[in-house]
Amino acid sequence: MTSADTERTGFLYPFIDADEHDPESLLADLAKSAQAKVHESSALQRSTLDECAELVASAGAQMAERFASGGRMYAFGNGGSSTDAATFAALFAQPITGRPLPAMNLAADQAVVTALGNDVGFELVFSRQIIAHASSRDIAVAMSTSGSSADLMMALGEASRRGLMTIGFAGYEGGQMATSSEVGYCFVVRSQSIHRIQESQALLGYQLWATVQQHLMPAESAPHRRGDTT
Amino acid sequence: MSSVVEGVTDQLAASASAGIPPDMLDGGLARDLADASLSVARRFQAGATMWCIAPQWEPHAHHMAVEFVHPVIMGKRALPAFALTDQDVVAQARSSVRPGDIVIAVAAADDRGVREVMRRIPAWGATSVWIGSGARPPSGAADHVLWIDDTNPLAPATGRFVIMYHLLWELTHVCFEHPGLLTPPPADECTDEVCITCSDEGRLAEVILAPTTAYGDALVRTATGEENIDVTLVAPVTPGDLVLVHAGSAITRLDPEQSR
Repeated sequence: MTSADTERTGFLYPFIDADEHDPESLLADLAKSAQAKVHESSALQRSTLDECAELVASAGAQMAERFASGGRMYAFGNGGSSTDAATFAALFAQPITGRPLPAMNLAADQAVVTALGNDVGFELVFSRQIIAHASSRDIAVAMSTSGSSADLMMALGEASRRGLMTIGFAGYEGGQMATSSEVGYCFVVRSQSIHRIQESQALLGYQLWATVQQHLMPAESAPHRRGDTT
Repeated sequence: MSSVVEGVTDQLAASASAGIPPDMLDGGLARDLADASLSVARRFQAGATMWCIAPQWEPHAHHMAVEFVHPVIMGKRALPAFALTDQDVVAQARSSVRPGDIVIAVAAADDRGVREVMRRIPAWGATSVWIGSGARPPSGAADHVLWIDDTNPLAPATGRFVIMYHLLWELTHVCFEHPGLLTPPPADECTDEVCITCSDEGRLAEVILAPTTAYGDALVRTATGEENIDVTLVAPVTPGDLVLVHAGSAITRLDPEQSR
C-alpha cells in the first residue's frame, strides 16, 4: 500500500495505524514524496519563467523607469503571500548586491493594519494605505495565490486610478487579476497547489528584481562615477 | 567595469539557474527532511509549541508560523507556532521556549543570534531544526540540519527555503496519519537503573540566577526543569552562562560561541 492509499483509507482501519511501530517505511515514503514534490516545483518554476519571460522583461523595464524617476514600490498580500511580498520588498530595499531601491511591505505595520481593519474593514487595509502613501510614479505589487482576494483587488483598483503601475501575482488560472483592467501586469503560476504556486512566485519575483537591477546599471562608458579615484 | 556592476552581472548570469534544482533533495537531504518531519510531528503530538526565527530574512519566520497556525488545506490541524522577531532573539527565545517545544530557524551558519539560540537548545529541552544554505553549521549544531547546497547569497529569495518549510509542513501532517508512530519508540525511553542518558553525566544547563553568597547555589535551567547547583568550580557565573552539570555541580563553563 502506498502512502497515498494509506492517507485515503487509513481512517477506515485505525487499528492498523495504531499498531504501526516501525517508522522506516513511513520515512522512506516521506523522503520519496518530498523528492517528487521538488521535481514538480522545479518543473513548474521553469515553465512559469518561460511562459512569463516577455512579461517579466517589459514589466522590469517599466519598473526601472519608475524607480529612476523617484518612484517607490508597495508590496502586499495575505497570509503566506504577505510574507512573500515582504521578502520581495526586502530584495529591492536591501539587496546583497546591486542598487537599493525604495520598497515597502504594506503588511509590516501592525498599528496601521489593525487600525484600518478595525475602523474601515479588512478589505480596505491596503487600499487605504495606497491613498495615504502613493504618488502616480509609484508601483503596486499584489501577491496572491487565488488572484481574487478582495483586499488586494481593492488596492490594485485604487492604485490603478491613481496612475500607479499595477502588478499582480496569481495562481490557478489567474483569478480576477488575470482579467481585470486595473492590473497592468499579471503573472500567473499555473498550478492548483498553493505551496507550489508560492514557490514559483518567489522565483518570478527574483527574476523581476534581477531585470530591474540590469536596467538600473550605469552605462559602461561611465562606470567610475564616485569613490573610485585611485 | 566597477565591482558593483560585476556583482550584479554575475548575479544575473546566475539567476537563470537560481530556481529550485530538481535534485535539490538528493544526497541525503530528503531523508533528513523526513526525519525532521517525524520528530516535529511527535513533538506537536506531545503538546509542543513551535518557535520560528529568521533574523536575516524575517518574513520566513512569519511564513513558517502562519503555515502551521492556519493550514492551506482545510481540515488539517491548526498547530501552535509563533515567529520570534525581537532584535534580541536569544532573550525572546529564552523566555518563550519550554521543554518539549520546537525551535526552527532559517539562517546562515554564521548568524550569531541563531547560533546562540541553538547552543542553548539542549538546556531548554527543545528540539531544533535549522534550514539554510552555503557554508554548513558545525556538526550537531541542531537536532535536524536541513542544508541546501547553494552558494547564491540570494537563495533565500528564490523559493528554495520556502519549499523546505512547505515540505516540512506537508510531511508533518502525513505523519499525523500514522498515530502508532507518534510516540517515540521504546528505545528512546530509559528503564535501566544506571544508564548514560539518565545519569547526571554532563548535562547542559543555562544559569538563571547567579549565587547570592560566595558558596551559595546557582539556579539553572536544564532539559528536565529548574534546579539549584553548586558552581564553586566554575565561579563566577552570570545569568545566561552555559555550564555542564554533573552530580549537582557545574564542572565546566562553555565559552560563548563554543560549538555544541
